[in-house]
Amino acid sequence: MAQSTFDRRRVNGPEESFSPVFDEEDDAELGWTVKHGRGLADIRPIFLQPGLVSQANGSAYIETEKTKLACAVYGPRQSKTTTYSERGRLNVEVKFAPFSCVRRRSPLRDAEDRAVAIAVYQSIVSSICLELFPKSTIDVFIVVIENDGIEGCIASGSIAASTALADAGIEMLGLVASCSAGVRGDEIRLDPVEKEAAAADGTVILACMPALSSITNVYQSGRVSVQGALKCMELCQDRCIDVHAVMAQSLLSSRTSTG
Amino acid sequence: MSVVPDEKKPTPTNQVQSDELRAQIFQRLHPHAYLDRFLVEGVRPDGRTPEEWRDAFINVGSVSTADGSALVRIGGTTIVCGVKAEIAEPELDTPDQGFLVPNIDLPAICSPKFKPGPPSEEAQVLSERLNAALVSTQLLPLTTLCIEPGRSVWCLYVDATCINYDGNAFDAALLAMVAALRNTTLPVATYNEETGRTTCRSRTTRHPLSLNRDKLITGLSFGVVPTPSVPLDPTAFEEPLLIRAFSVVVDVQGRVVFVEGGVCGKSGTDYDGDEGSTLIEKSIQAAQERAKILHQLLQ
Repeated sequence: MAQSTFDRRRVNGPEESFSPVFDEEDDAELGWTVKHGRGLADIRPIFLQPGLVSQANGSAYIETEKTKLACAVYGPRQSKTTTYSERGRLNVEVKFAPFSCVRRRSPLRDAEDRAVAIAVYQSIVSSICLELFPKSTIDVFIVVIENDGIEGCIASGSIAASTALADAGIEMLGLVASCSAGVRGDEIRLDPVEKEAAAADGTVILACMPALSSITNVYQSGRVSVQGALKCMELCQDRCIDVHAVMAQSLLSSRTSTG
Repeated sequence: MSVVPDEKKPTPTNQVQSDELRAQIFQRLHPHAYLDRFLVEGVRPDGRTPEEWRDAFINVGSVSTADGSALVRIGGTTIVCGVKAEIAEPELDTPDQGFLVPNIDLPAICSPKFKPGPPSEEAQVLSERLNAALVSTQLLPLTTLCIEPGRSVWCLYVDATCINYDGNAFDAALLAMVAALRNTTLPVATYNEETGRTTCRSRTTRHPLSLNRDKLITGLSFGVVPTPSVPLDPTAFEEPLLIRAFSVVVDVQGRVVFVEGGVCGKSGTDYDGDEGSTLIEKSIQAAQERAKILHQLLQ
């Protein structure tokens, strides 16, 4: 991608550079037909490890096949703003590593990381007892190391953020699990990879607290019928129960191993 | 705040806990004295001797969206580095040279001392030092990145991101960058004279970079403290307490490529001439020993 502005704070390359163009371009339509060796209602296996960032109050690293991201929680710490606030503030920042996508992302912030940050914020904000942290800020930082589908990235980000919050010992109503779905025609596929999501008519991302069987965030985009969207949510919610078990297990084993 | 243990009946576990708490408070309030007490005994707060390095670990090729990648862990410090290759027009005065653009990012995730936003001063200085190390050693001859002289060349963006900052980011970042470059493969690109476009034939046919094998470098950092010892490979706790820090970059044969004063630590009393030069000599020897281990890891 072209670097539009010269940045004195970084080592700069040429003014313009472009992603290589390949003679054999693969067809975007093929994305839906590609085989992954998993069923339509199966999600990618999750590797979740809390407590990898030693400097943070709580942290988690999540890997679902090619989606890899790290999340750290700092806080509750004193708010920078001088205005008094009865409730704590939750601040979510997402950063894509420049090499995390097929095309290089210039290090300047673009719109996509904010969109992901807002989606993750919405997913987890209602699970945290913010009324217990007056005048404080809880910072949740996420670095995307490798991205395979923005839907999966938001879902994984929410899972990692909730696990990191629990690892930091911040009081919550429940762990937030999240799952995404892609719809094309009548077919629903859970946890679509980037190519599947690109070929889908629409996508749904659901975040919920399985322990309280309540939903914290639903994000739907594209063209999906009402029945389709409801069906997606149902399937996602079922899968979130499994995700919740993975999160609880990883937290439990990290506690027992560190004592 | 009362930190005095319950003096009536200190149960053993209570005693241990309050001792730990007191040590933590001492560390926060008097970091210099805390470090000195350890160094006088010949150990460091993390249990190492001053002359001991932390364990290093390298994993390459785990990021499939990058053309080459490496994850390096030195003690707690974790750095991921990815190489992205793009096509650019060469500079007019160097028509057959490509570009090598190393940058390091110290995002807010890695330590409470970094804030989100543009690169901090530390990140800027670190990027410049890494650039100097990679460019001055000519690890990668830039002419090998040429596709068509004067028309199109490869531009390699070498981006390192710190995930966990526990001191000595320079060593870890340089190791990650060198390992990622070793792991990098480029597709075969051809320049079409008629259309003026550069295209690559296939995604699967790829060639490794032609690195100067004997110029593979590793960086090794040392700190200087008032007591006569050089704690090498400093941690995040030790870094701000050093009066000086410096790095030595060594190549495969153990030749010193460059030595430079570091960024951390305030300027203070230096050692006298003789003492200073023996210090540097000793450090270089230690660096050469350590470089052998790191090179084995790289292989």
